[in-house]
Formats: sequence, structure tokens, C-alpha cells
Amino acid sequence: MKDFEALKSIWHNQVALPKVSHEDVLKKVSKTRTGLASRLLIEMVGMVLASTMLIYVWVESPFRMWTTHLAMVIFMCCCLYYITAIIRNYRQITHRSLLDRPGEYILYLKKYKHNRFVFNTRKYRIYSIFFTAGFILFFIEIAFLTELWVTITVIVFTFLWIILYYFVLMPIYIKKEEARLEDMIRNLERLEKQFVEEG
Amino acid sequence: MSKEALFKEIFQANSKKIYHLCYGYTGDDDTANDLMQETFMKVWQNLDKFRNQALISTWIYRIAVNTCLSYLRVEKRQPKDELTENIIETKGEEVSEKNEQVASLYKCIAQLEENERIIITMVLDEVPYAEIATISGISEGNLRVKIHRIKQKLTELYNRNERF
Repeated sequence: MKDFEALKSIWHNQVALPKVSHEDVLKKVSKTRTGLASRLLIEMVGMVLASTMLIYVWVESPFRMWTTHLAMVIFMCCCLYYITAIIRNYRQITHRSLLDRPGEYILYLKKYKHNRFVFNTRKYRIYSIFFTAGFILFFIEIAFLTELWVTITVIVFTFLWIILYYFVLMPIYIKKEEARLEDMIRNLERLEKQFVEEG
Repeated sequence: MSKEALFKEIFQANSKKIYHLCYGYTGDDDTANDLMQETFMKVWQNLDKFRNQALISTWIYRIAVNTCLSYLRVEKRQPKDELTENIIETKGEEVSEKNEQVASLYKCIAQLEENERIIITMVLDEVPYAEIATISGISEGNLRVKIHRIKQKLTELYNRNERF
């Protein structure tokens, strides 16, 4: 039979030491920062390039119909929204709340997971609807400028993509996200209970 | 003192205890090293904000606790008894009796609840109660009651484990 003091002495006799040195930590910091920064930079550059091309096409092409101009406005808004979402995500990565008390931190995690879920499902759905609407509006003028078979092919492909996206891919994605989130929330709630003060 | 020198000093003074906390929480050596590394990465990133703090170890512990909590949730990993059993099995013949006792102690810690694991590893590392209370966000009065209960639970688990 051992008492707690005996367990304490076993604990202090342990030889297990961390395998990580302070140099390893600093190397990892610089690697992570570079990796993250370059990934964000690539995404940002991609979106800026897409927006520039869009503006160029808009200014240089002799579009006559208001529907095409509206499509261009929608595309631009989508690009801007995407860029702000990237910046917002970057700010969230800074983990300021890691310094919170565990109970408060768990609440932050719950909120964060929920926000990610809303972003990945509801907001992304709205984003896709606008993008598709932009394409439809854009194709109206194209229909007047190109041959009938080209117009029909483009429209058929666009609508097939929309159907596939909404009725097959999106439900699978939402279902997966929901299950993952529910699991996380359940775990977080169990943890939260452990940190609640016992009266 | 340069930022690197300060960080080195902080790392050397706290890394062992943070590693114990992570090991006690996960029951796995590699994961504990990963979590300790992640903790000190956050420490480095926030070092300028905490240069003048009296008890730097308090917020290092808090970062470590939160890193452990979020890591398990995100990765969906649960600490398993088998992990510690694996350690015993794989190193079987070479480990001394002392190491077996340590492994057995970790196995018992793994059977506690998450917050109990965190608190008891700090108690075993002789972190003052007031500091544990600040880290975990539990009032000192409640913490004392809690620690008493966890000590009993761990001792029972260890003795039961030793008998078999």
C-alpha cells in the first residue's frame, strides 16, 4: 500500500525528459510562420489577380447589357468577401484566447467551432448562390454573342454543376461538418462541466 | 537580455514540468512532446507581452492546459490506457522497477478526468495551490477540496493496479 507521498516520490524519480529543445521550438516557429504566411500570400495573390483580370475584362469588353454589369459587380463582391474571410481567419489563428482560463477557453472554442461551421456551410452556400447568379447573368449577353449550340452547352454544363453541387456535394459536406461539430461540442461540454465551480 | 536568451532561460526553467503536464494529460510521449513544443511556440509569440509578469510560469501553464484541451478536441484523440501499456510492453525488459512504477502512475493518471489529470500533475510537480487555482480558474477553497479527492482517487487506483 502506498500513500500519496510515496506516489510523489515515484513522480520525482522519473527520468522521462522532453525530446524537444528550445532551438527546435524556434526552428518550428520560423517554419510555421513562413508556411502560413506564404499560403495566405498565395491565396491573396490569387484573389487579387482574379479581381484584376475581372476589372480588365469589365473595362475592356464592350458589354451592352445591364445584366453583364450586374454579374461583374457580383463577382467583385464575391472576391472581396473571400479576401476579408482570409484575413479574418488569419487573425483568428493568433490564439490570443489561449491565455484565458480553461473554462473561458472552452467557451471560446465552442464559439469558434460554431462560427467555422456557419462559415463552411451557410455562408459558403450564400457565396455559391451569388457566384452562380453572376454566371447566369453573364451568360445572358454571351447567348446573344455566340452560336446557339455554344450557349446551350455552356448553360447545360453550368446547371449540371449547380445540381451536382446543391443536391449531392453540399448535403454530404454539411452532414459531415454537422457530425464533426456535434462531436466536438459534446466533448467541449463535458470538459466545460469539469471546470464549473462545485458549490 | 535578448529575446532568445530570455526564451532559453524560460524554456529551461519550465519545459520539464510542462512536459509532465502534457504527458500526464495524453499518456503518450510523442504527443506530449508535440504539445510541449506547441505551448512554447505560443510562449515565444507572446513573450513581449509578458516580459514584466511576476509569475511567468502561471501563464505558461495556462497556455499548456488550453493547448492540451484543444488538441484532444480537434484531433479527436482520447488518452488511452493502452498507450501507457504499450510503453511498458515495448520497453519491457530494459525498464527498471522505478520506470515501471512511473509508467504505472501515468496509467492511473490517464484514468482520471481531464481537469483532474491537469490538476494532479501540477500537485505532483509541487506547484503552489494559489498558482494552480489561478491557472485552472477554480477558487482556492474549492481547489483544496478537489485536490484532496483527486489524491484519494489516484492513490486508490495506484494501489489497486499494483495488486494485479
